[in-house]
Amino acid sequence: MIALLTTMPLFAHGGGFGLNTNILDTNLINLVIVIGVLVWFLRGFLGGILERRRTAILAELQDAETRLSQASAALAQAQQDLAAAQLKAEQIRADGKARAAAIRTDSELRTIEEMARLKQEAVADLNAEAARVTDLLRREAARQAIEKALKVLPGKLDSEAQVRLLDTSIANLGNS
Amino acid sequence: MVPLPQLLPLAELEVGKQFYWHLGNFHLHGQVFLSSWVVIGALLALVVVGTRSMKRDPQGVQNLLEFLWTYIRDLAREQIGEKAYRDWLPFIGTLFLFIFVCNWGGALIPWKLIEIPNGELGAPTADINTTVAMALLVSLSYFYAGLSRKGLRYFEYYVEPTPIMLPFKIIEDFTKPLSLSFRLFGNILADELVVGVLAFLVPVIVPLPAMFLGLFTSAIQALIFATLAANYIGEAVHEEHH
Repeated sequence: MIALLTTMPLFAHGGGFGLNTNILDTNLINLVIVIGVLVWFLRGFLGGILERRRTAILAELQDAETRLSQASAALAQAQQDLAAAQLKAEQIRADGKARAAAIRTDSELRTIEEMARLKQEAVADLNAEAARVTDLLRREAARQAIEKALKVLPGKLDSEAQVRLLDTSIANLGNS
Repeated sequence: MVPLPQLLPLAELEVGKQFYWHLGNFHLHGQVFLSSWVVIGALLALVVVGTRSMKRDPQGVQNLLEFLWTYIRDLAREQIGEKAYRDWLPFIGTLFLFIFVCNWGGALIPWKLIEIPNGELGAPTADINTTVAMALLVSLSYFYAGLSRKGLRYFEYYVEPTPIMLPFKIIEDFTKPLSLSFRLFGNILADELVVGVLAFLVPVIVPLPAMFLGLFTSAIQALIFATLAANYIGEAVHEEHH
């Protein structure tokens, strides 16, 4: 045993670089077993951890994406609402402006009409008054002329003049 | 009585065998560099592959990397605090991932298939130089973290809560990197040696419990190293509330 130990150095060194193909000497069987067990163990243990981690990350991403899409949808909805509200506000403002303009033109038109009517009425009043006064004057003139004629007529109207008047009148009848 | 070194070839297990590279006056442990490069390459490949085409649905390597990132982020935030952990997250994460992959790579990759001129390939963290380098980086980091955040007021930390603490706090600055490096180095080397001895005595089946235990402890060691590094940085940046 001792001879075996002494003749077989624990770690062989040749002169330089080389490959040691002694399976027992290189502890290869044990290493293969250890690596095999380790791979089996790590595949179960570490693989499980990594898979759970991955699932958790994916779930979180999914969740975040869902929330993002929900938020985007809400944003779009809100923007749409905003646009609608702005449109409505614009419409209301336009309506108001139009109505204000309409009211203004209407009142202006009415004022103008009223003024025209007043002027017309004034003119009509004036005309009527003038006609009344003219009529009055005419009547007065006619009455005075008749009175004057009645006063003057008895002195100037003798039979000769009557005859001449009649003749003239007859002649006029014939002419007309 | 036969002298022990001749009787027991277990002396071959000593850590003195190194594949030396000579660079100027330095004697570099080449096997550590080789296995470190493999580890670094594997980590870079993993990260590049995992982040090259990232999708919203985290699958495969991307999912694994995100999971690791969350884990390290939680660790750093818990130890350093909400305010400063972002600055140190890359450092803590690098420490954790590098140590973890070193430890597990050393335990799982059949390094002995490859013979090198002297020494043997294994976990880079089983070499004291690697762990001391990382522990000193941690020391530098917490000094820098404290000084950059608090200025010279950082040294108030040494006399809090009472000035009696001053010598202990100064000693702590030396024991922190010492304990960090020796803990990691010792655990990984011990694990490798136990597995090596058992495999040498009974090649099959018997080393398996030790190998599984080694996987467990080396994972824990990576966690401990990263947690303590973050804790030291957190202590340095911690603001006392008067």
